Amino acid sequence: MKKNPYKVLGIKEGASYDEIKRAYRELAKKYHPDKYRNNPLADLADEKMREINEAYETLMKNAGGAYQYQQDYDQTYENSNASQGSYSQQYQQQQQQKQQQQSSSQYQYQYQYGYDDEAELERQARMYVNNGNLAEAQRILDKMRNRNASWYYLQGLVFLRRGWYDRGYSSIQKAVNMDPSNFEYRNALNNLNQQRAGYRQNPYYRNTYHQSPDMCNLCVNLWCADTCCECMGGDLIGCC
Amino acid sequence: MFGYVEPDKPELKIREFDVFRGYYCSLCKTIGKRYGQIPRLSLSYDLTFLYILLDATSAFPLGGRRERCIAHPLKKRFRVFSNIFAEYASDMNVILTYYSLKDKWDDEKSLLGGTGSLALKMAFNKARKLHPEKCSAIEGYLKDLRTLEKNKCDSVDEAAEPFASLMRELFECGHIKDESTRKTLGWMGYNLGRWIYLIDAFDDLSKDIKHKSYNPILCQYDFNGEDVESFKERVRKALNFNLTYSLSEIEKAYSLLDIEKNKGILDNILYSGLIVKTDAILQGRGKNEKESI
Repeated sequence: MKKNPYKVLGIKEGASYDEIKRAYRELAKKYHPDKYRNNPLADLADEKMREINEAYETLMKNAGGAYQYQQDYDQTYENSNASQGSYSQQYQQQQQQKQQQQSSSQYQYQYQYGYDDEAELERQARMYVNNGNLAEAQRILDKMRNRNASWYYLQGLVFLRRGWYDRGYSSIQKAVNMDPSNFEYRNALNNLNQQRAGYRQNPYYRNTYHQSPDMCNLCVNLWCADTCCECMGGDLIGCC
Repeated sequence: MFGYVEPDKPELKIREFDVFRGYYCSLCKTIGKRYGQIPRLSLSYDLTFLYILLDATSAFPLGGRRERCIAHPLKKRFRVFSNIFAEYASDMNVILTYYSLKDKWDDEKSLLGGTGSLALKMAFNKARKLHPEKCSAIEGYLKDLRTLEKNKCDSVDEAAEPFASLMRELFECGHIKDESTRKTLGWMGYNLGRWIYLIDAFDDLSKDIKHKSYNPILCQYDFNGEDVESFKERVRKALNFNLTYSLSEIEKAYSLLDIEKNKGILDNILYSGLIVKTDAILQGRGKNEKESI
């Protein structure tokens, strides 16, 4: 059953072009695959993202015709994402990469099974991490003797997936320290810090606790300014 | 359960506050109806949150009326009509309170633990009959927790695992039929359990240092008899990451749920209440610190 696209995007029926776009952009940020990278619910977020993309496309087609929609869609994302393409394109690319990774490692797995070589173990571990089979990934990681940067990275991913964030963070930190030039490790570490900081950025909290100066503050500031002026021999507010 | 999951009251709308209290009343009265008057004393905010959350994922219409009760005989208060989720939350409330009281009795021979667990025994037996699997799972996790504590586990992640899994068990309520909703709720529960366990451990630091009892934070960060404040200063950053990241995972799971009602209350608790509490406790304004200020 197809859902009502307006409901999916959380807007009123008959919403304007801009409203649809704004809602879409907000939701795309909310369910972005980057945010759910080390999360066991990633597949659900993917599904949600697909729903949102579908709803957006349907509405945009109805609103301004296919041609206009296409142009606008691309423009929006070229502007906001600087040559990275739209979220859905990115998403498709990621999915393709994932599939390629999986199929190639399965291929190697079949061929080199029983060949107890560290690099092969690492490939297997990576495959299990990608599939979400944490117990198996941990088993292989425990078997490896060569504890290099990539071992710590994979171990960190396993910890994060199962919810052990302190150990996950320190493992990935260690991987970055051992191999500072590696983009993947550094990226993962940045992502963690972003996720943490991102929690405080939700509008509910931000609007309340990071407001511009309120009346109370204003009075205190005025009083301070007045006191300072008086210190220097002048006066800002005559009556006090 | 420790009662850390609370709304950020100043930010609630008055209507939302009324509904929140309505759920609280409803849970209290459900316990009374199912288990008698004494178990009503075991009511907790955490289970009220579970009740609101589970109810929010269902399409049951929200209804209630103004009633009197023993605790507030003079003024009528709004209560929400109970449903299967109220019953579920009340059963879990009895089970958890019983275990925690019994634990207190076994550990410290505390009088409250002894009499409390005795008074709840009947109610507990009834609840266990209704949820045998949940009960044995919870018992298993509590046993794990005790073993870890006895072995002085020196990793906060590992020490938080049993309680987090217990909360996952609680949140994966059997009345929710949709598989992926249940899984999402479970992940929320797991992370909330982690958060509760860790925030409680931090809150108890001074007490545990004084009584020389086990605390995973003291073990992981090698407490060496230094001043409490300087130790807290040393571990604050790491714990802030650990706690806030757990909260961010709760938020991610929450945004995948289809919330049918009570969005205002849940948003308040999950986006504001928990982080405000975290900051308060990390900066030493928790409930155990009140005497010192």
